[in-house]
Amino acid sequence: MLTVLLVDDDAEFTDVACTIIEFLGHEVLTASTLAEAREWLSKESFDHILLDFMLPDGSGLHLMESLQPEQNTRVTLITGHPSVKGIIKDMCGPNIDYLVKPIQREDLESVLQGKKQPSSKRSTTAITKHFGQLIGESAPMQELYKLIGRVSKTKANVMLLGESGVGKEVVAAAIHEASDCEGTYVATNCGAFSKELIGSELFGHEKGAFTGAVGRKEGVFEQAENGTLFLDEITEMPIDMQPNLLRVLENKVVIRVGGTKAMPVNCRVVSATNRSMEEIAESKVLREDIYFRLAVFPITIPPLRERKEDIPLLAEHFINQLNEENGSQFRWQPVQLEKLQTYDWPGNVRELRHFVHRAAIMSDPEGTEIELPKTIESPFAKKQTLSTGLKAGRTIEEVEKELIYATLEKVDGNKTTAAEMLGISTKTLYNRLHAYGDLNSDSE
Amino acid sequence: MDEGEFARLQKAVHDARRPLNRITMQSELIKLALEGAVPKEKALTALDKIIAGSKDCSDSLSELVAQFSPDANDEGSPTE
Repeated sequence: MLTVLLVDDDAEFTDVACTIIEFLGHEVLTASTLAEAREWLSKESFDHILLDFMLPDGSGLHLMESLQPEQNTRVTLITGHPSVKGIIKDMCGPNIDYLVKPIQREDLESVLQGKKQPSSKRSTTAITKHFGQLIGESAPMQELYKLIGRVSKTKANVMLLGESGVGKEVVAAAIHEASDCEGTYVATNCGAFSKELIGSELFGHEKGAFTGAVGRKEGVFEQAENGTLFLDEITEMPIDMQPNLLRVLENKVVIRVGGTKAMPVNCRVVSATNRSMEEIAESKVLREDIYFRLAVFPITIPPLRERKEDIPLLAEHFINQLNEENGSQFRWQPVQLEKLQTYDWPGNVRELRHFVHRAAIMSDPEGTEIELPKTIESPFAKKQTLSTGLKAGRTIEEVEKELIYATLEKVDGNKTTAAEMLGISTKTLYNRLHAYGDLNSDSE
Repeated sequence: MDEGEFARLQKAVHDARRPLNRITMQSELIKLALEGAVPKEKALTALDKIIAGSKDCSDSLSELVAQFSPDANDEGSPTE
């Protein structure tokens, strides 16, 4: 809440302006002459003065002499002459703004918020978003931009490989952005659907095709017509569903579940997995024919630890986003950015983003300083450092949790492989991770 | 247009802007009344003020036209 002094001799204007300013949550006092305004200034301190340029006993500018510089009061001059604003602009210091009548509520709202605007704008440095999506100027990212630029000019299907959290979906969106295609970008996660539902998700279904199919539904292939279809966690797709996908990729037609009509589809398929190519070949989670259809142009996205010079840019971008969302003014200190660069970020960009978010929540919202936790650690990295082996006195639950995380770490977070190694079903693994609170909806 | 004429035009536009500001502010008040932030009676008063402001604005514009009409110039005194 600000304390505002409104100086204007137009009683009707003052009356309505006061109503609006109070509605905006500020306290407001009024003066109709320079003399009255001076009297208020001698008794009270104000965050903001809205000042009519022409007052009965002189120009509003004379009031400037009565302001105490240390109070840092912002002044907005109100004028009915647009030509005057040029003169004011030249005279104005950083704390002086102007409004030209007629004035709306939004104008008042904007100038009264102005106290925070200049500093937050200053802190926003220009960060280039390549293809409207990607941040980073490091050599591995430049190489990635080159590949995206090349493949976007073709219609080839792309397979994105990279660890969990590197931003595979962001790269897929960048490819779509760079493609200049007419259709939309549609994303779906092949690991998120049961065997029964994935057919309907991908190819759609006709009304009455199965229990619960109360209406006709378009599949993602149809939705992405002339655009880009992103199939995340492609290697988690049930193997017996893969021939259906292959048929669509080869023939470029889909038949909705429960339907008979073949419909032509035309979209680029960008798929993604956090398994390496060798692992895909060895583990046989993806049929070879499908792999060659999907990975016409494979792109490996570098992990964050291999492009640490991009960490300050990313951290800056995330904090700017949070500042914009919450009206805060947090700013990184150079030493803090250096500290962020010393960590390996096993959860990659996603982990960094969550970390910045947590730090912003922990910090004083009225200040500019970001409070970093003493240590940076993720549940995945922690398991390596905290592993104490088998000792009497530990519960089975503790050991089980440690074993699950150690296995996930070993297989780069791949849940299907981890579940196989642990001798449990993928569902059980997901249930355990949910119980530990380490699995969220955007997990890769 | 010479400097004197331009100054007169500026003054006339300024006079016309005053009722426009009145209309804008009273409209904002009506918005607040509709949002329930001020009593509805204020909205009725505001509407009367808007009507009055519109008439004032119209008068100012008529006066402006009269000042700059060729007939007024022929008389050598566009302001009187």
